[in-house]
Amino acid sequence: MAVPGEENNHKQGKLEFALDVPFPSTREASIAFKSLIPDREPRKGGISKEITVSDSTLSVRWRADETRILRVSVGSFMDHLTLVMETMEAFGPPVPV
Amino acid sequence: MTVVIGFEGSANKIGVGIIRDGEVLSNPRRTYITPPGQGFLPSDTARHHRGVILTVLKEALEEAGIKPDDIDCVAYTKGPGMGAPLVTVALVARTVAQLWAKPLLGVNHCIGHIEMGRLITQANNPTVLYVSGGNTQVIAYSERRYRIFGETIDIAVGNCLDRFARVIKISNDPSPGYNIEQMAKRGKQYVELPYTVKGMDVSFSGILSYIEVTFTSKMLTSDQCTAEDLCFSLQETLFSMLVEITERAMAHCGSQEVLIVGGVGCNIRLQEMMGVMCKERGAKLFATDERFCIDNGAMIAQAGWEMFRSGQVTELSDSWITQRYRTDEVEVTWRD
Repeated sequence: MAVPGEENNHKQGKLEFALDVPFPSTREASIAFKSLIPDREPRKGGISKEITVSDSTLSVRWRADETRILRVSVGSFMDHLTLVMETMEAFGPPVPV
Repeated sequence: MTVVIGFEGSANKIGVGIIRDGEVLSNPRRTYITPPGQGFLPSDTARHHRGVILTVLKEALEEAGIKPDDIDCVAYTKGPGMGAPLVTVALVARTVAQLWAKPLLGVNHCIGHIEMGRLITQANNPTVLYVSGGNTQVIAYSERRYRIFGETIDIAVGNCLDRFARVIKISNDPSPGYNIEQMAKRGKQYVELPYTVKGMDVSFSGILSYIEVTFTSKMLTSDQCTAEDLCFSLQETLFSMLVEITERAMAHCGSQEVLIVGGVGCNIRLQEMMGVMCKERGAKLFATDERFCIDNGAMIAQAGWEMFRSGQVTELSDSWITQRYRTDEVEVTWRD
């Protein structure tokens, strides 16, 4: 799937980073999504992060001006994602609703 | 019966507590302790919390003998506090709330301290002195808000103590404040420090600078006073200021009860000094020990219990954390 505005980003000299995370089920992907989206990116400018979920895959797309800013945001997201996945492993699977 | 699990991790303590109708079923906690001379930084603290939070959660459930299914609500600290540690705790709270299909509830950390203090001491409508590493406030309840009558205009009293400990390299284990309290008992002379009460408010940053500049350079090196004398003098000065503004708030509200909460609140010398003032006024002092004064999960569970019972919940989309969150922003829906 093409990233919307990809061509524009390249023209503007933006860095891009893409991550797809597979989950065992749609429900678990949705839980991770809802756990990870409420907190906004601490930095105001120079980076944007878009999180989406489709079936059992969580996808994240970053666009940034500098590698330094990108690395901090991706690193921090990875820490958060790892914690959410560890929590699911230790206290899952989700109860039926 | 209503069972609430509470997650706290806004500073260097990480705790998970479970409350069932006023009964503390479990309340395990871990503290991130830094070497002498060093404070705790947000990212290092968050890493510490990530490393232990799931173990602490397991302990809380096991000690309480509670299954996730028995829980009615998952409460967590929404703020105020350090961003990265707050996010860590919120992530786990959001995830388990969804895994267990339970409602989520974001709690104001300061309200957690107040409600835990009220539960443990059974103080009914006290004037509250909330003193910790990040907060210094004199609070009284009126018309559905915990209103702030006086507060620090710069750093918290606990921050002043912590940073003083760093300057003279006192150990952070179990906490800098505890070690200052022990050293102060061996102080022999009172050295005069600035006394900075501004109306109902207090200021501590100047006292810290004064010590940094004057004493560590001159007096300690020339044996005019000892580190123990400084600990003693600092405690006497800071705590006198706190007692003064608490007394003024009591006079203003006509209150006959004082409740001390927050990490600095387990300092016995502060409790003694407050006790003297209360005795003179015929008022009653309520305080708790380090299990409930220092940040813990049960306090978030208790405030969460009150909020949940009064009909509050937090939608996942509104569950963002916030580093700034004043005590008086919360509408107290659980008191008359």
